[in-house]
Formats: sequence, structure tokens, C-alpha cells
Amino acid sequence: MANLTSDQAKQLSDNFYYLGMAIGDFRYENWERLSLDENKELSETQNMLLQTGEDILAFSTTLIMDEVTESLQKINSISADIQGTIKTLRNIQKGLNIAAALLILGVAITNRDTKGIGDSIKNVYETWSSPQL
Amino acid sequence: MRTALLGKMPPLVLVTFTLFLFSCVNLKSVGEFSVTSTESLKNFEKIDYSFLQHCLDRCTDEAIRKYEIKRAQECSCELYQEADSVTQVIYNTIEGYFEGLGHLSQNELTTYSSDAVVNALTAEEFGPVQIDSRFATAFSSLSNTLLRATTDSYRRKKTAQYIEEANESMQVLLEKFEVIISTNLKGELRFKRERLYAYYMDMKMNQTVLSEYEKGQAATDYYQALEAIQRKELELEVFGESLAEIAKGHQVLYDNRNKLSVKNLQELLQEYSSHVKELVSEFNKLNN
Repeated sequence: MANLTSDQAKQLSDNFYYLGMAIGDFRYENWERLSLDENKELSETQNMLLQTGEDILAFSTTLIMDEVTESLQKINSISADIQGTIKTLRNIQKGLNIAAALLILGVAITNRDTKGIGDSIKNVYETWSSPQL
Repeated sequence: MRTALLGKMPPLVLVTFTLFLFSCVNLKSVGEFSVTSTESLKNFEKIDYSFLQHCLDRCTDEAIRKYEIKRAQECSCELYQEADSVTQVIYNTIEGYFEGLGHLSQNELTTYSSDAVVNALTAEEFGPVQIDSRFATAFSSLSNTLLRATTDSYRRKKTAQYIEEANESMQVLLEKFEVIISTNLKGELRFKRERLYAYYMDMKMNQTVLSEYEKGQAATDYYQALEAIQRKELELEVFGESLAEIAKGHQVLYDNRNKLSVKNLQELLQEYSSHVKELVSEFNKLNN
């Protein structure tokens, strides 16, 4: 378990910024196909992801993580993948599920819950890799 | 004439005189650099933005988005306040140091007190920044030095010593301060921009605004708000750049504290002073 450096915190915050944007783009692309409740749920998630990114910047070097480099690499990799493809994702339920999984990861990071972070990264990865949801 | 005079000097005096010339710190240049740096640093107080302000703005944005009307805003910003406290301590320390350096190099025997800085440096809430204990010692002895620094040679010696003891911590603090301003605080504004975008995009997608006039008005409001955020981002960026220049200038002071001729040091520092001055001017234009 170690503290994040300023650069690592910035990198992590960037991920949440772009993930928040990606969820927003997903909403706008699928606006007509989303029910009112689904849209509202995604909007809340979008905001929470942005708030997580903001909190990470404010807390910066006081954040902690297990196996920092490895964990960050996993988050970076999956974050880049989600950003690149979520806009064109046709499976609404998968979009909702991945948004929820990201939200749990954000809460674990800002709560400095090292076990929760590890579990959440795994959960995000499995949710995103799952072909059928 | 100068050659004739030098020719009459005993060898030991000549060597000592030459060594003195090459070992002394150019106090005028140090004074000018300190004054410029202090002026630039004080712009921090003009930045009308902080972590706490960002947190409060976020709560307001959220209340507007959800159309929540409450008698008092409920906002939990303790950790943002903490980030401000750390930033304030770092600022006080750096600003106090350059002010002290300016006084010392210009022989201003003021009643300068380093107590506030020393207290701040030993405070628990200083957070993740590690400060060399020698630096705190250098600060605590500054008041005393200023009161006794009456002769030029004594001041030169003390100035060089002060720079030497402070440089390592100054570099750490200036770098940390720059990250806080240029990366963290400026970075927060990027999220504010994205929230603004989402607010107006939702409005557009929901077709909340129907008349052509309202649509135009909404777009105008959006771009005005966006411009205000971008201007603030630029202001923070310029301030951050000036911190980097001050750090470079101080490193030059440290590297040359014992070996440069008066002229060389002046030329070297001039470059950093000029650049910092330009950034101060740029900052003031954005801040008005």
C-alpha cells in the first residue's frame, strides 16, 4: 500500500474526467432509446464520476492504493477502451452496468478503501469484458 | 591607473581582494530578483478561486441541475478546505522567504518576523510535503540576521548562507505549489466546464427551450460562462509558469552563490527577473 504521487493522482483524475465525458456522450447518442429512468440514472453516474475526478485532484497525494503502478495501468487501459467504444455501444444494459461499476470504483478510491479498489477494478474489467449482459 | 594601483598591492592582499570579488554575492541582483519574485507570488492573493470555492460552486451547480430549492445550501467541503490550508501554508512560506531575502540583500533592517512561517512549517496539517529541518532553522534565524546585518560583507555571507540552506526546500515547495495551482486547481476547472456542457446539452436534448430567442440566449449564456472559466484557467496557468521561473532563478542563485563575478550573476538573474515580470504583467491583464 502506498501513496499516489501527484502525477499518478492527475492520471487517475484524467481517467474519471474522460469516463464522465464518455458516459455523457453515450447518453446523448442513445437519447431516444433510453427510458427516462435510465437516462436519469446515467446522468447521476456521469456527475458522480466527474465529482470523483475532482475529489482525486483535491486529495491528490493523500490517496492510497495497493500495487499502485499495476492498479493504475489496469484502470488506464480499461478507461481508454471504454472511452473509445462506449459512444457506439448498442447494448444499453451494458452501458448502465459499466457506469455502475465505475461508480463503485470511484467511491472506493475516494474512501481510500484499498481492498475495495482492487475488487472494483476486477469488477469493472469483468463487466466490460462480458459479451452478454 | 587601475594597473598601477594593482601593481603596488602586496600579493596576499591582491589574492584576497580577487577572491573576495569572485566569491561575493551580488546583493543588488539578489534584491531585485527577490522583489520581482515577491511581487509575482503576491498575485496568489488576487486569484479569486480556491478549492473551497470550487466545491461550493459545484454544490450550486448540482442544486441548479436538480432544481433543488433549500433554505440553506448543504455542502460538505472539509477536504477541499484542507487542500486550501496546505496551499496557504506553502504560499506563506515561499512568500515569507523571498520577502526575507529581499530585506537581507537590500539591508532593510525591518522588524521582520519569521514566527508565522516557522509555526506554519511545524504545523501538523502541512500534509504530504516534507520540509528539511535546516530550512525551518534558516527561517527562525532570519529575524536575528536581519537585525545584525549591518555591514556589506556580513550581509553577503549571510545571504549566501540563507540561499544555501533554503534552496532544497524552496525547490520542493515551489514545485509543489506549481502542481497545486497548474495541475490541481486549474484541473478542477476542467470539470466545471464539463458540468456546464452537460447542463446545456441536457437542456438542448430535452428541448426545454423552444423559442428561437431562448435558444440564442441559452447558447450565449453557455459561451459566456465557458469563457469565464477558460480565462480563470489561463490565469492559473500564467501564475504557475511564474512559479517555475522563480524556482529556476533561485537555482541559479544557489549554483552561483560563491563563484560568480558581480556582472555575470546580474546577467543570469536578469533573464529570470524579466520573464517573471512579463508573467506578472500577463497575469494582471487576465485578472482585471
